[in-house]
Amino acid sequence: MATESLYEIWAKRNPEWEIRYENNIIKTFCDYNRGATSMREDRAKILGAGYEIFIVAFFIGLYYNQKKPLTTENRKRKSFGWAIQNWGNIESRGGRRPYPKLREYIFAALVARTDVDFIALDKGEITARKAVDMLMQTMEEYANFGFHFMEDKLIDNPGYFYASNAFLEVFLSFDASVSKSEDDEEPEALD
Amino acid sequence: MILKSIKIKNFRSYYGESIFELSEGLTLIIGGNGDGKTTFFEALEWLFNTSTEDIKESNISAKRKAELEICESDEVAVSIVFEHDGEKELEKSFTFERISKDNVRCKDFKFFGYENSGSERYSVKGSNLLEQSFDAVIRKYCLFKGESTLNVFDNTTALKTLVETFSGIKRFDDLVELSTDFEAKSQNAVNKEMLNDKKCRQKANDLNFRLTKVKDEIQTLKSDIKQQDEAINSYAAKLEILEHNQEASEQYQDIKNRIKGLSDKRAKMRNYTLVDYNAMLLDESWILRSFPKVLQEYQKKASALSKQKRKLKTQEDERRGEERGKQIAIEHIQKLANGAVELPWNLPDQETMQEMLDDHICKVCGREALEGSEAYEFMKNKLNEYLRHIQETTKKDEQKDEKPLFTNSYIDELHTRQIRMSGEDEQRIAGIATEVSHRLKFIQDRKIDLDKIEKELQEAEDEKSRLLIQSSDLTEEMLEKDFNDIKGYFDQKGRAEIRVAELTLQLKRKEDEKRELDEEFAGLEPENTSVKMYQRVHTALREIMKAFTNAKERNVTEFLTSLEKKANTYLGKLNENDFHGVIYLRRTAEGSARIELCSEDGTIIPNPSDSQKTTMYMSVLFAISEITTLKREQDYPLIFDAPTSNMGGFKENSFYNVIDKINKQCIIVTKDLLIEDKTTGESSLDNKQINQLTCSVYRISKAADYSQTGLSTIQTTTTKIK
Repeated sequence: MATESLYEIWAKRNPEWEIRYENNIIKTFCDYNRGATSMREDRAKILGAGYEIFIVAFFIGLYYNQKKPLTTENRKRKSFGWAIQNWGNIESRGGRRPYPKLREYIFAALVARTDVDFIALDKGEITARKAVDMLMQTMEEYANFGFHFMEDKLIDNPGYFYASNAFLEVFLSFDASVSKSEDDEEPEALD
Repeated sequence: MILKSIKIKNFRSYYGESIFELSEGLTLIIGGNGDGKTTFFEALEWLFNTSTEDIKESNISAKRKAELEICESDEVAVSIVFEHDGEKELEKSFTFERISKDNVRCKDFKFFGYENSGSERYSVKGSNLLEQSFDAVIRKYCLFKGESTLNVFDNTTALKTLVETFSGIKRFDDLVELSTDFEAKSQNAVNKEMLNDKKCRQKANDLNFRLTKVKDEIQTLKSDIKQQDEAINSYAAKLEILEHNQEASEQYQDIKNRIKGLSDKRAKMRNYTLVDYNAMLLDESWILRSFPKVLQEYQKKASALSKQKRKLKTQEDERRGEERGKQIAIEHIQKLANGAVELPWNLPDQETMQEMLDDHICKVCGREALEGSEAYEFMKNKLNEYLRHIQETTKKDEQKDEKPLFTNSYIDELHTRQIRMSGEDEQRIAGIATEVSHRLKFIQDRKIDLDKIEKELQEAEDEKSRLLIQSSDLTEEMLEKDFNDIKGYFDQKGRAEIRVAELTLQLKRKEDEKRELDEEFAGLEPENTSVKMYQRVHTALREIMKAFTNAKERNVTEFLTSLEKKANTYLGKLNENDFHGVIYLRRTAEGSARIELCSEDGTIIPNPSDSQKTTMYMSVLFAISEITTLKREQDYPLIFDAPTSNMGGFKENSFYNVIDKINKQCIIVTKDLLIEDKTTGESSLDNKQINQLTCSVYRISKAADYSQTGLSTIQTTTTKIK
């Protein structure tokens, strides 16, 4: 039996994103690369650490269910150098609250939306590393779509996301109905 | 001085020459807004200003200036012709010349007077003639711009100036000074002589010492009393204003409390509405609003995987079970034909068997077994069975070590996670959409509340401004004072009054003491007869000094009483058929006077209306003017710019009727007696009213063809109506 869970392996990773979004989106909306002591309010940033805008981008891709493959050129990609397991842990400054649980939902979404052969994984026919690679790819591609979406909005109107409720409006536009599908089964109890 | 005519030339809107011929009574100069009323008044002010050589380019008629070609010039001039011990003329002027397209040069300032002597006319210095005929003190009580300047007692030196100028008190001043000086000198002389007198030296020395001390004490007491008096007056004035405005004050406090309450509420509402939506997306998991569907997908997938895995495992278990079952069955089928018990499979062993086959003999029964015989075949089969058995046993052993189908339990992890994410967690995620919409609705509602509060706040602020505008003599600072301050003023005033009473008593005692000492001093009987004579001279001089001092005091009182009486006569005339109250001129601690409008019984009328105030001040002015005429044996004109702008229409009409009948030269510049056509906005004279008046009337107005934006098209035209 594996000593590390799939979640733990995944949480140690750093997703990648395309460098072209660094200046116009990540640095515009976050404190990314500016030093941890500076307060968000000082610069009128609408979010804190860089990964926060990544999370927002990811969920936009997720709800649109649109993936956008990243460039294959390594030099045009970058990561935050801040493993997923740390995301949402320390945002208690400036009246913010930590939100570690969100990571688990991201993981669940990745499992749901990634075509990993889990049977083969459990049989040992593919490695956990390979499976997590696939999960990460989904994560990056959803976020990449999200960044692309933001860029589009900003081209039309550079101040678009400075309206205090602009991101919220994006998320309000997604369907939030909770449907009980007919083939839905009661979850089985573990043995 | 009686003005006969005024000429204004190229002064601002007065283009070219405008001449006003004035009657000895009232002259009305009527014009609407912007028609040149104030310019008329300011032209006179310019003429009467002797302090500077004022040749401001802004005083030049813009129209005339625009007309000038380069090197052409003209003049700005204001002049009056008046009667003051014969006809005289006063003119102030300067020349302006165009020196370039954009520039005009002003030069040749002149201020001359002209007097006639017999048939000759000669010029004098303008400022000298002005001072001689219409001096600065008189002018102060003759020229009034708007009603706010009508209160001539609004500064502390006003009464003193007035009394000195018009009551003849100045002559008393000299006498009082002189007699005081004599008294002091004679006192010194007496003292000196007394000290030389053997008999009285000792006593005189002693009395002198005591007198000096008492005089010092009296001086200190008087100064203390003056100080306390001033304090009383100041508190009284404040209280008066506060009391008169008690209603406004209460209203103000009410508004202030309302504003405070609303401001607090606004701060609270702002807190509710200032939401960081971006932070809420993450911190409050609002970003998971649409997540339930994704979660369902996950749950389905994890559940299906778990099921599939278990199914595969079961199938594998079954297959392995079957294999084992087959083996057991085979073992069952292998029995001997006659039912006898078989030898163990391992007897004889492989070596023995091979040996027997090689030797073609069964070493168990001793029979020969040739190759191809039945016995030989039996042994061969037995060997093969042995080998097969060994093989199968090995295989069985191998089967016992077979690897499990699933080596990892990731699917179990996912399934465990799925179980954990159902129930409470799932419900929470499903509730986020509702939570977000409730919260947004709440914020929206608070924003509506906030708008409402902002509006109410603005209304309250407006109300406050209106209150302050209406109560023009009140400042916000004064209104800030609440009841405690009023009580504080009362207490302070009360304390000051008690102190004054105490001090006055002390003063009286000290004065008595001084009188006694004086008398004692006067009663000293020196040996030397010449000392006695000095003594008598001093007593006489002291009495003279007292007489002059008392006379001076009475003179001021009489002046005020007479002014008051005359003012009340005018007040009655100006307010015919209306309540007008009584004017009191009260002396203040600083030595000036205050004009008060009272009821018959002497109580002050709180908040007199603006027209009451105007007529009150004008009555005092007419009274002063009358006294001036009496004392100087000269009349002086009164010139008013828009004194009645606070009066109602009815009051205005009777006001002019009264002034028309007063025997006094008055020039009033006004926009009264104009009727405005509401449809065209144009004004015309109220001829019905004007025909009732006997006075001269001029109409001034803007010449018709002016441009609304070009100053150089403005020209005041003057028309004599009657």
